[in-house]
Amino acid sequence: MTSAPTHVPAAAREAPGSAPVRRRAPGPRRASSQRRRSAASGLVFLLPALVLFGYFAWWPIGRSVVLAFQQTNLVDAPQWVGWQNFEQLFADPLLPTAALNTLWFAALSLLIGLPIPLAVAVVMSELRRGGALARVLAYLPVVIPPVVSVLLWKTFFNPGEQGVVNAALGVVGLGPYPWLQSPDLAMPSLVIVATWSGAGTAVLIYLAALTGVSTELYDAAELDGASVWRRVWHVTLPQLRGVILVLLLLQIIGALQVFTEPYVMTDGGPANATVTVLLMIYRYAFLFGNYGVATALSVLLAAGLVVVSAVYLRLTRAWSTS
Amino acid sequence: MRSRQRPLVAAAAALAVVTAPAACSNDDEGSASAGAVTITVMGQPAATNTAALELFQQQVEEFEAANPGIDIVGSDVPWDAKTFAARLAGGNAPTVIRVPLTEPPSLIERGQVADIAAEASELESFDELNPRVMEFLVRDDAVYGIPEKSYAFGLVYNRALFEQAGLDPDDPPATWDEVRAYAKQISDATGKTGFGEISTNNSGGWHLTGYTYTNGGTMIEQGGDGAWSASFDAEPARQVLEWWKQLRWEDDSLGDNVLGKQEDLLAEFTAGNVGMWISAPPDLYPNYVAAGGDPAVYGAAAMPQGGADATLAGATVLMVDAKASAEERAAAVKWIEFRALRPNYDPEVATEYAQASAEDGLPVGVPVLPIFSEERYATIQEAIAQYVNVPVENFASYVESLDRFTYVPEPTVASQEIYAALDPLVQSVLTDPDADIDALLADAEARVNTILEQAQG
Repeated sequence: MTSAPTHVPAAAREAPGSAPVRRRAPGPRRASSQRRRSAASGLVFLLPALVLFGYFAWWPIGRSVVLAFQQTNLVDAPQWVGWQNFEQLFADPLLPTAALNTLWFAALSLLIGLPIPLAVAVVMSELRRGGALARVLAYLPVVIPPVVSVLLWKTFFNPGEQGVVNAALGVVGLGPYPWLQSPDLAMPSLVIVATWSGAGTAVLIYLAALTGVSTELYDAAELDGASVWRRVWHVTLPQLRGVILVLLLLQIIGALQVFTEPYVMTDGGPANATVTVLLMIYRYAFLFGNYGVATALSVLLAAGLVVVSAVYLRLTRAWSTS
Repeated sequence: MRSRQRPLVAAAAALAVVTAPAACSNDDEGSASAGAVTITVMGQPAATNTAALELFQQQVEEFEAANPGIDIVGSDVPWDAKTFAARLAGGNAPTVIRVPLTEPPSLIERGQVADIAAEASELESFDELNPRVMEFLVRDDAVYGIPEKSYAFGLVYNRALFEQAGLDPDDPPATWDEVRAYAKQISDATGKTGFGEISTNNSGGWHLTGYTYTNGGTMIEQGGDGAWSASFDAEPARQVLEWWKQLRWEDDSLGDNVLGKQEDLLAEFTAGNVGMWISAPPDLYPNYVAAGGDPAVYGAAAMPQGGADATLAGATVLMVDAKASAEERAAAVKWIEFRALRPNYDPEVATEYAQASAEDGLPVGVPVLPIFSEERYATIQEAIAQYVNVPVENFASYVESLDRFTYVPEPTVASQEIYAALDPLVQSVLTDPDADIDALLADAEARVNTILEQAQG
């Protein structure tokens, strides 16, 4: 950081009137001036990222908020319609169904998607041989493009006896089950696919975090006669709580934005059993060409996610390691 | 000095990155020669379809030679509502848009396609366009599109499975009761799906609409005040739903997979796993053959009827981007005439194209609902007779029905929204043996009425 002052733009360094102040400045004021120059220098470095984010992320977000109050066909100038898009949205009887379905998906995802990667990571960290192969196998589903894996699972979930899942269950005398064709089983089926596709990343993150857990803690616990289960419960989990809390938040946000699985596998069916909020946004925008209502729902979802995140961070502050 | 300049260089580099795409697009726009109009046209065959692509490129060269002021840029990207919206917003949607039969009502309603009445009415062949097809594309004297081909719903069936089940493939079923009996027989005898059905991506609502028309029903109707309201909570649609329920839960002839879309069912049909289903037979045939289907096995029959002698009709339509300039609109209509109308109007051109297509192994002579008059259609068929390579006799029942049936268009208001609201109704009947049809119909009608109220402001 010693070179920081040299990064201050020439214009700022040679600004009229600033030089005499700088010459006469006593120690603390001189430090403050250096900090300002340092901040200005940092800002210049930040500028490219700010411009890119501003242009490709914040500007579209701002435009969406505006569009939520407009009606447009993308040809003529948009018309300001006030709260009409929101009114139309709340009059849609599908909205409560979609919201409940999305929450149901998120709940199931956490129920299955949180413990499984953790358990897999703990088991893998204990492997004396084949750890690298296990990591590759665990991460492989993440490498497969989502649409490909979803289409594969669509075939696996074939409702007939020849379906891969039904054939496997048939060996132990179960099924055949209708899976995606059943309003009751469709959502759990999607959760299985989502968990399979995404668990690999969580496993790797848990594995990385596990390497940071001091072996001395395990040794001490072992000396105290702690069983494997007690070591996991009293050493591993408390040591990983920071990572677990962050991943849990990311999973909640991801699950509430579920789209690919219902879009490719069920199109929201059967009988609206898997219609999610994002699928509704997609339909409003691209099927019905009603971009105003679509963005209104997007804004509501974004606001909901902000609230959920804030509440979550508040509730878990005490448990966090930081 | 070097360290002072570094941030400025970084900022300049960032600005360059940000502004590069805009600069590129400006270059693109400026690439056309001075005074020339460049239009982007959908409908260029995919690169994998080499024969058809070659023919297309040849047509582009011929067209540009005949019209020195117009440059054609072909696009092999098929219609996709998602990209269309984004490209329309960005001002670079194709000038000539090629859309399937379900799209025109919504595009017209939203004002996303241009009125080409002035340009189209100057075409020699325009007045001869089949009024039964044009009624879908004309609103209050404004013309929003020109059909490339048109078709009506019909029964597509697998002649080989008919034979295996002991049915006569030259005597396809004509009523829904017969279809049910045939489906059961195919299913029992072969273990395959007797009658295939689709219900996602709005196809459930689309099919319910088409079937309801054959029973004399309507989906929406216009009141004395001009306002549209739902009209399907009645006997014709109820009969369709009851019929589906019987096939699915009593006969078990509908197969296990009822939650698919047209492409899914086409794949199953091509693989020989489905006895019969409803679609637009001429439109489906090229895809069936391209996917490896046996032409001799493909059967096309009249739309099964429930007493109305009616069928849902539609078209593949060429439309023009609403943002196109007057010059672009004129060039687009010229291209549409050259590419889509002449082969169906001018016997000489039709013969040329048929010969080229036949030599390249492309289907020639698929019987269609004529986009011009019956006489013109007969003249063209006669001209290309020697190149026909499609087993037209397998389309006999379908062709015979084209004169006989009344064509009913899709709902003209909010068609996609209506279909989307009907999909769950169809899916409920097909996935729940205890589905309460009366309650489902009443619920769906209420939803569609809400949609119609919103659509009509």
